[in-house]
Amino acid sequence: MSPPDDAYATQVPAQPGMAPQAAQYTWRLRRLAGSWLPAALIVLGLLGVWEGYVRLCAVPKWLLPAPSVIAVTLVASWELLLGHTLVTLLEVVVGFGLALLGGVLLACGIAMSRTLERALYPFVIASQMVPIIVIAPLLLIWVGYGLTPKVIVVALTAFFPIVVNMVDGLQSVDPDAVNLLRTLGANRWQIFVKVQVPASLPFLFSGTRVAMAVSVIGAIIGEWVGSSQGLGYLMIRSKPQFLTERVFAAIVVLSVMGVALFVLVGVVEKLAIPWWHNEQRQRSL
Amino acid sequence: MKRAASDAQAEVLRDAKVRAEGVSKHLLQHGRQFAVLQEVDLDAQDGEFVSLIGPSGCGKSTLLNIIAGLEQPSSGTLYLNGRRAEQRLGTVGYMQQKDLLLPWRNVLDNIILGLELRGVSRRLARGRALALMGQFGLKGFETAYPYALSGGMRQRAAFLRTILPEQEVFLLDEPFGALDALTRTQLHEWLLGLWETLHKTIVLVTHDVEEAIFLSDRVYVMTARPGRVKLVQGIDLPRPRRLDMVTTAHFVALKAQLLAALRRESPAQYEG
Repeated sequence: MSPPDDAYATQVPAQPGMAPQAAQYTWRLRRLAGSWLPAALIVLGLLGVWEGYVRLCAVPKWLLPAPSVIAVTLVASWELLLGHTLVTLLEVVVGFGLALLGGVLLACGIAMSRTLERALYPFVIASQMVPIIVIAPLLLIWVGYGLTPKVIVVALTAFFPIVVNMVDGLQSVDPDAVNLLRTLGANRWQIFVKVQVPASLPFLFSGTRVAMAVSVIGAIIGEWVGSSQGLGYLMIRSKPQFLTERVFAAIVVLSVMGVALFVLVGVVEKLAIPWWHNEQRQRSL
Repeated sequence: MKRAASDAQAEVLRDAKVRAEGVSKHLLQHGRQFAVLQEVDLDAQDGEFVSLIGPSGCGKSTLLNIIAGLEQPSSGTLYLNGRRAEQRLGTVGYMQQKDLLLPWRNVLDNIILGLELRGVSRRLARGRALALMGQFGLKGFETAYPYALSGGMRQRAAFLRTILPEQEVFLLDEPFGALDALTRTQLHEWLLGLWETLHKTIVLVTHDVEEAIFLSDRVYVMTARPGRVKLVQGIDLPRPRRLDMVTTAHFVALKAQLLAALRRESPAQYEG
């Protein structure tokens, strides 16, 4: 017996006069340029205005350093900046890692048991109601000036979006898909592992991106409250010395680090759940 | 249903592959109880193809859910292989209206889901699925993801997933409902061919009278809510069925008969 044919089984976007591979490559390049170019132009324009204003009005360096001065500082004190950057990066990575691990476990517990949900969710929400800037000084008293209080601050700020998003993901699963597994004889644990967890991954990654962004802020707050190393410490120390260009240099490094980490999460996401991106793309075609 | 239950016939019924006896289902909505199914008797013999038609909302899908074990009846008994079956989940193959292919699994791994859940190793399960890919028109699409498939292919993949665990009874809930007419007719013939080689018992829910006659040995007509069995019509068209039978006088007569029974239930839905 022969099954019916499907003429339209796969859709390969074809462009006339081009090998499909090359066509796809230029399409990607164009899309990339299209997505980055406007932002890059705006940044360049703003930098130009800034530079021009500082030079024309002869603004003193301690008040507002010109971009060119900041660039010179970046190059000149790269060793100093690198040392402090690595400290902040370590705080972010460790704190974020703890938040991810704890957040995922907490979300699984909350999604699996109603009792756990009732017992834990109020505390998860309450933990965000107390401003981190209030908790951070207390941590200094309790655990000292080292790496630990910064890691705790980072973890406390980062775990919330992870938990909330993952719980949403685990609970938003299609009830028909759950029924399908039940008719195939699946037990509760199998349903959780084979349907709920995979279906929640896109949600988890949304939460993770937010968590990554707030992790960097958490680390800086932790350092401002009390520290002897890190980019936040460098800013705090440079300000009273009127080394404003160094404050700006630290901000630049911090921004680059934040964006790099954010992009990294995106890359991991694309590798971890390629099906999600392909499906999104299919839908938008 | 006319209970023409002579003792001999009752004996045969008790040997049925699937049997629902006096199944009722009540639901509570806004504090009021209403009946979805009322005293439904249904049976399907070993290797029989039975269809269930009726106006929308008559409880056809609820009945399948009950047979599959997803829901329990408010009253009544279910028998599988002649034995009372309280726990039916995992013993009856059930294909729902939506194909429900998991988007994070490729076609092959979607198909082996049932075997995987029973603890069959993935390697073994994949081997068994691969052997059937050609017959289901999925050869070459093993590693494709569901979004890349057409509606007909998705439905066949879902069907292969349903039959791979080798259960003896399959419940199909409007599996062709979302497909275009051409794909649908093709799948009808394909399904019949498959059914003839598999010797399985199939209970199909549909709202398409022609589909029911073309495929089935017997057709159950249900009333509007609360769903009761109104008529059981044997279809004595010869097998194998061919598409040109649809225009024979006998087919047309059967169709007229079933449509008449349905029209009295919901005039709007089955006009013409």
